[in-house]
Amino acid sequence: MTSHLLSLVVGAPALAALVLLFLRPEQRLAIRVVSLVAATVSLLGSVVALTSYDRARSGFQMVESYPIVPALGIHLTFALDGWGGPLLILTSVIIFAGVLASWSIAKRDKEYFALLLILVSGVYGVFVTQDLLVFFLFYEIAVLPMYLLIGIWGSSHEVRAEGPFRRAWEFFSVGDKQYAAMKLTLMLLVGSAAILVAIFALYAKAGARSFDLGVLASAHYSPELQVVLFPLLWLGFGTLAGVFPFHTWSPDGHASAPTAVSMLHAGVLMKLGAFGVMRVGMVLLPHGARVWVPVVGAVAAVNVLYGAFCAMSQKDLKYIIAYSSVSHMGVVMLGAATLTPEGWNGAVFQMVAHGIMTALFFAMVGLVYERAHTRAVAKMGGFATVMPGVAAFFTLACLSSLGLPGTAGFVSEFLVFLGAWRAGHYLWAIPGVLGAFVTAIYVLRATRAIFWGEGPSKEFHDLGEARGTEWAAPIVLGACVVLFGLWPRILLDHIDPGSAMHLERLLRLEAIERVVSTHAEGFKP
Amino acid sequence: MMRPILLALTALLAPALVALSLAVAPSVRRRGAPAAALTILASLASFGAAVALLFEHSARLTVPWLRTGARVIAEVGVNVDGVSTSMLVVVTFVALCVQVFSLGYMHDESPPAFGRYFAYHALFLFSMNLLVLAPNLLQLFAGWELVGVTSYLLIGFYYKKPSAAHAAVKAFWVTKFADMGFLFGLLTLFVATGSFSFNVALTPPVAVAVTLLFFLAVVGKSAQFPLHVWLPDAMEGPTPVSALLHAATMVAAGVFLVVRADPLFAQAESTRTVMLVVGVGTALFAALLALVQTDIKKVLAYSTCSQLGYMIAALGAGSMLGGFFHLTTHAFFKALLFLAAGSIIHAVGSNELSKMGGLARRMPVTFAAFTIGALSLAAVPGFSGFFSKDLVLEAVAGKLGSIPLALLVATAFLTAFYMGRVLVVAFLGAPSSDEAAHAHEAGWSMKLPLLALAALSLVAGFFAAPFAKLHGQAYHFHFGGVAAVGTAAGLLGLVLAYTLSSARIARATRAVSELARGSAVDRFYEYSFRRVTLVLSDSLAWVDRYVVDGMINLLGYRTIDAGRGMRPLQTGMAPDYVLAVVVGAASLAAWTVLR
Repeated sequence: MTSHLLSLVVGAPALAALVLLFLRPEQRLAIRVVSLVAATVSLLGSVVALTSYDRARSGFQMVESYPIVPALGIHLTFALDGWGGPLLILTSVIIFAGVLASWSIAKRDKEYFALLLILVSGVYGVFVTQDLLVFFLFYEIAVLPMYLLIGIWGSSHEVRAEGPFRRAWEFFSVGDKQYAAMKLTLMLLVGSAAILVAIFALYAKAGARSFDLGVLASAHYSPELQVVLFPLLWLGFGTLAGVFPFHTWSPDGHASAPTAVSMLHAGVLMKLGAFGVMRVGMVLLPHGARVWVPVVGAVAAVNVLYGAFCAMSQKDLKYIIAYSSVSHMGVVMLGAATLTPEGWNGAVFQMVAHGIMTALFFAMVGLVYERAHTRAVAKMGGFATVMPGVAAFFTLACLSSLGLPGTAGFVSEFLVFLGAWRAGHYLWAIPGVLGAFVTAIYVLRATRAIFWGEGPSKEFHDLGEARGTEWAAPIVLGACVVLFGLWPRILLDHIDPGSAMHLERLLRLEAIERVVSTHAEGFKP
Repeated sequence: MMRPILLALTALLAPALVALSLAVAPSVRRRGAPAAALTILASLASFGAAVALLFEHSARLTVPWLRTGARVIAEVGVNVDGVSTSMLVVVTFVALCVQVFSLGYMHDESPPAFGRYFAYHALFLFSMNLLVLAPNLLQLFAGWELVGVTSYLLIGFYYKKPSAAHAAVKAFWVTKFADMGFLFGLLTLFVATGSFSFNVALTPPVAVAVTLLFFLAVVGKSAQFPLHVWLPDAMEGPTPVSALLHAATMVAAGVFLVVRADPLFAQAESTRTVMLVVGVGTALFAALLALVQTDIKKVLAYSTCSQLGYMIAALGAGSMLGGFFHLTTHAFFKALLFLAAGSIIHAVGSNELSKMGGLARRMPVTFAAFTIGALSLAAVPGFSGFFSKDLVLEAVAGKLGSIPLALLVATAFLTAFYMGRVLVVAFLGAPSSDEAAHAHEAGWSMKLPLLALAALSLVAGFFAAPFAKLHGQAYHFHFGGVAAVGTAAGLLGLVLAYTLSSARIARATRAVSELARGSAVDRFYEYSFRRVTLVLSDSLAWVDRYVVDGMINLLGYRTIDAGRGMRPLQTGMAPDYVLAVVVGAASLAAWTVLR
């Protein structure tokens, strides 16, 4: 019996987006209810998928396959591995919170919700599809709506540059939402182009007339080819994961995007990049990965520290959080580069932990921004007096971000550093741990500047506690931060067999290659 | 077998449940009184369970917490043995006293603030018990970090005050910096042994590396030189908080870690030497600074640093018993001193010693309590501090050419002197302010904890033998040469404090006050933060915006430029295009023919 659970999870938001097209713009409540229903269905489906996945058996489960272009070997294949469940949960929790956080959006709401839902369908698709070409299609579906979402619903020029560099900002219109949307899209599309080249090369060289990831993984690619293709996938997907120096779309993009879009983009979309590097790059090209990981890991360590230092210097609240994403995605890439079970578990756990934490951040920042009408941290102060709940949830996000035990952030960072330490990569782990310390400096500085101190000055007359649906996002996300931190096995017991499977493949293929190459050398005349 | 586990779980989970329910039920918390009642009930349950545990056997319960590569790498649970039980009793007892005291002390706060205060206390007690009952170093680390956060929240309790906000983040940053040592220590330990156990055999270099890394964290948490700077500032928190976190329990967590991981430290003689030096140095240095403080809480704060130095020195000399017993008696008498100081501050409305004076007659209970605490701290024979300090002095005797012993005896003199000075200035003579003249004792909720702690400060010393037995060691008291010297130093200090006029004291300590005013260590950190960290972050952010991102913008701009440059080719006139087609076709044909 084939299960259709995964189709349901992937399809529900897309279907809802279709339904939205038939609603009239005035039916504001109906638009929201349809979106919320789709998010709920996907959330429940994800929970069922997580709980019904048989960990003892591990491997791919709940497989369903529909041919698209059989002649070329393109199939719409869904299957769940150990990683799938936690990542589906991550996506579902964030879209659920995101829909509720967008409840008060007041501009072309029909289109807004439709785009949001289409985007999420794409994300789900990437996490469960087993066909490389379909993977790429879903990836693009997830990335492209961002252009419209930021360009139409975003905000411009909140905090301007001062002093001599003001002209440079004006010349390039930095801080403008059109600029941010365009930069984000173009940079990610260049990345996609690199990915597409690599995909076709993999397909052609495998010679099996199939885009199936399993088939491609068991194909033999020459070491030279792997060394050439791996950086294409690393930087192609890595651009979306904020890999230095191709991360600069992210601060501008996240700062200009509306709240729910920032939540989704930093919370889920950046994970697609890291997921792509691991699931496609490292699993399909084990030799290439081995050759390149010293670079991948070193760049990831740079990401962690560099992102943290850049965040410390920001004067715009949204930029602080955006740079913190650059820093924390470095932890994911660092874990991936260790090629150890601890590191990979930590990387996937960090995708979830950082996703939820940063979504919580952006939700809280959105609430502050809506009420204060500014994002300039220097102007704020004493907000905790009038919005204690928001302050509390913001602090919770801070604590997770600096890796406090008892929050999800600790588990992932600890596993990643453990992996790096065990593999002897001390020079990656030390900047990583230092990055967590620098994080403690900048997040608590921001908290103090925004929420602590003498009560808010007179100009902030709209300040007030969150109301009604605005509570949904912090409560759901905050509960997840604490739950996954206190009892990480909810996710880790799934992630672990997933990492074991993918890593085993990687290590075995590598062993075969070693044997083959020594034989080849032996037979040399 | 089951009973000790159930008791330990009660001690751990009662405050956890209260903290959780106060977090998820803001309506209860914001009413204030119910939150206080729930928290105190939980502490009572924890304390009851802890006392009951004294009469139970060792036991241990763990469940897998992290699994990787199908292998359990970390567990959580409870571990009941002599060390954890005695610490648990101390922590829960002091916590209970402090919470009852807070009922009176924090009475004037608004109900939401009052509720928030007690919610933090419940969270603190859970975190501390998590640390104390930890079956491995990873859980200990989790508790360690969580008490750090509750310390941050409680120091910043008056978050509207900029100085409190500053002190809170400073305390967190300094300890967090030191905690990197703990984390690296854990990683190294796990890579070497595959576990986070505090009782494994290590090779000598690994043992030294791991214990030195742990000791860095201890220096931060237990406010040892040069990371002591956060503790005096932490006095910005409410006074009962200073008593519980920043004197009796949380700062002692560093000492507790060394006691807990004694088997690891026993394998690293060089680390112990470092500890001895740092401990003795801090004891003397902080005692000197305590001499010249004018704020009663600051005197006590520096005194805490100094006494923690004693404990670290004892542990460095290899005497686990000395360090741990001094921790225990210190928890009682220092909490007593802080609460008594709180009682004074509550009555006088100021921390400044110069605003006090003549309080002995107006606040007899507080006076008696403070005197007992002060005499205990000054190690007057018969008081608890005497027995524990004697153990410390005995332990360091003969180490490193007896220099540590001499310095610690000198410190004992200074300790008695500065405590004697506080007693004289605050309680004797004439009132120095209107508030002091009209001061009066507070209600029973504040008096009762004082009496309980005073009783323990008086008698705890006589329990040294059972305490030692709990840790499988023997203790016999004998009044030897070391004890005589220590006692003489203490009594001399007290007598001098009573007889010398304050003008003379000021003249004698002028050099120290210059040192304190400069507070060079503090300024060094401030300077390196502003001039190094902030400048580095600003320059990196600049590089990111104008160099890294500038390249991307330049690329984009050049692309547009190139397009603009090629635009003239598209003239929009048909003849031009026809010409291009003809020329193109002709060249193609030519190429085919001539190839």
